[in-house]
Amino acid sequence: MVGSMHTANETQILTEPVARLIEEFSRLPGIGPKTASRLTFFMLRAPDEAARSLAEALIALKQQVHFCARCYFIAQGELCVVCTSPARDQRLICVVEEPLDVVAIERTGVFRGLYHVLHGRIAPLEGMNREDIYFDELLDRVRTEPVEEVILATNPNLEGEATAFHLQRALAPLGVRITRLARGLPTGGDLEWADPGTLSSALEGRREL
Amino acid sequence: MYVTHLNLRDFRNYERLDLTLEPGATLLYGPNAAGKTTVLEAIYFLATTRSPRAGADRELVRFEAQGDIGVPPFARLVCDVARAEGRVRLEVVVQRRAEEEASGSAVQTIKTVRVDRKAVRALDLVGHLRVVLFTPADVALVTGAPAERRRYLDVTLSQLEGRYVRTLAHYQKVVQQRNSLLRAWREGRRPLRSADDELAFWDRELAMAGAYILHERLRAVADLNALVGPIYGRVTSSDVALMTRYQSSVAGFGPEADTQAIERAFLEHLARQRDDEIGRGQTLVGPHRDDLLISAGTIAIGTYGSRGQQRSATLALKLGEAELMRARAGDAPVLLLDDLLSELDAERRGHLLDVLERPDQQTLVTATGTEEFEAGFLRRARRWRVEHGRLYPS
Repeated sequence: MVGSMHTANETQILTEPVARLIEEFSRLPGIGPKTASRLTFFMLRAPDEAARSLAEALIALKQQVHFCARCYFIAQGELCVVCTSPARDQRLICVVEEPLDVVAIERTGVFRGLYHVLHGRIAPLEGMNREDIYFDELLDRVRTEPVEEVILATNPNLEGEATAFHLQRALAPLGVRITRLARGLPTGGDLEWADPGTLSSALEGRREL
Repeated sequence: MYVTHLNLRDFRNYERLDLTLEPGATLLYGPNAAGKTTVLEAIYFLATTRSPRAGADRELVRFEAQGDIGVPPFARLVCDVARAEGRVRLEVVVQRRAEEEASGSAVQTIKTVRVDRKAVRALDLVGHLRVVLFTPADVALVTGAPAERRRYLDVTLSQLEGRYVRTLAHYQKVVQQRNSLLRAWREGRRPLRSADDELAFWDRELAMAGAYILHERLRAVADLNALVGPIYGRVTSSDVALMTRYQSSVAGFGPEADTQAIERAFLEHLARQRDDEIGRGQTLVGPHRDDLLISAGTIAIGTYGSRGQQRSATLALKLGEAELMRARAGDAPVLLLDDLLSELDAERRGHLLDVLERPDQQTLVTATGTEEFEAGFLRRARRWRVEHGRLYPS
């Protein structure tokens, strides 16, 4: 699709820089040709400073941020803030699908261990298999770090369960404790309004008081 | 159970419809393309979140619909249902996605579903209102492909068991994921060496969900046989028995097997079929490959039956479906009969109308005219003339 969005004639009318920026914007997720055009003309009318600031932010993003060499969360140095913190419990690794999942768990303030970000999940339909995510890298960490427990915090849907299943199988021979996030009712929720799927997993996952 | 009120906005050719319904028979008549079937479709949609007609959900939104300012056009369907277990209000909004969002996406509409004004997943709507739709095209149930008969069982069971809808949706996702893995091996895009390991999760999910679906279908077929046989006898005035037999692609379990036994047989059969599945690049075992065999006496009527026998069998299966729902749920489903009476001869029509006369049975009937109905039925039925997306009492 790249390069084929505008006909030669259209490019001539739009001018090459405008056509090019429209193309660049429309490659972003969730942005169609209409929104891309609107953003482009917004930038065209905006003060020079706005365009420069956006361009610099993009370049800074790519120059200064990459993925942590250990857990693949976002980092400015070689390691991320979690991995470099001395206060973190090195015996605990929480495995998540995406960097934003780390942010969500950090927001709770209750988890004091380390993370491992897979950058995806096992979903053959999307062409995602074990080798397409940071799966074996986790196994290496468990072998070489003083890990005692791995918490599987992949999403509670089919693909997340598939990922957890394969992680569990691969981790089991390494003699580490493996746990899975509990599935159940939301806090402040109403039992009457819970959907049957959630309610039945909450029943299955009930615990002794 | 019965629908007490139906409210449509920008649904197909209806700009607005506000219809109060009562138990008993309601006749909607008028010329073709006036919007008779659309009323049945709306009720079916509120029961199942699916349209019985082919085509995209996008087409459900009235072509000229404007939407509100700043909001893409949408269709809104609401109905109130009186049931043995209490009243409920069901609402579905189908909204066309804005063009720029929809471009390049397969999802062209957004569906919002509410039960008693509370937003729920589409799956959780199913079962609040139970309907049986019967159209002339339903003869495909007997003469058509196995998928028609699987859908017959699935639509019936989904309305009776919330767990069935959810398990079926889960099962279908597993089949898709599993198929794409099998296809990758078939096309040599993935090394085959760890096939068993990679399939382990999908096999387990497939067998677990599949065993439940199979068990429920077998139970339904057993119940249906008891109901369908006598109905067919009455309809055809003969003692030839109509029998259905479930034919499963999963081998190795007996008729009395429980879900665990089916699951074990399922997994064993999958292991035996492994090479074949990889060779064909698709899941060959499971309820998505099964069929329901229908026979009258010794003949398979889909292939060898007369047109008349096929129609009688379809009628018996549909009435059986309604009876099964009534028996299991303790509440009669709403019957939606689309342009059917013209298809049936006087005798078969009589059997159908007998069912309609039950006091707790709500039935919506569509027809092009009133001539084909007997005076008694017309007197008791509430009649609406339908023209250009409007209803007029008559």
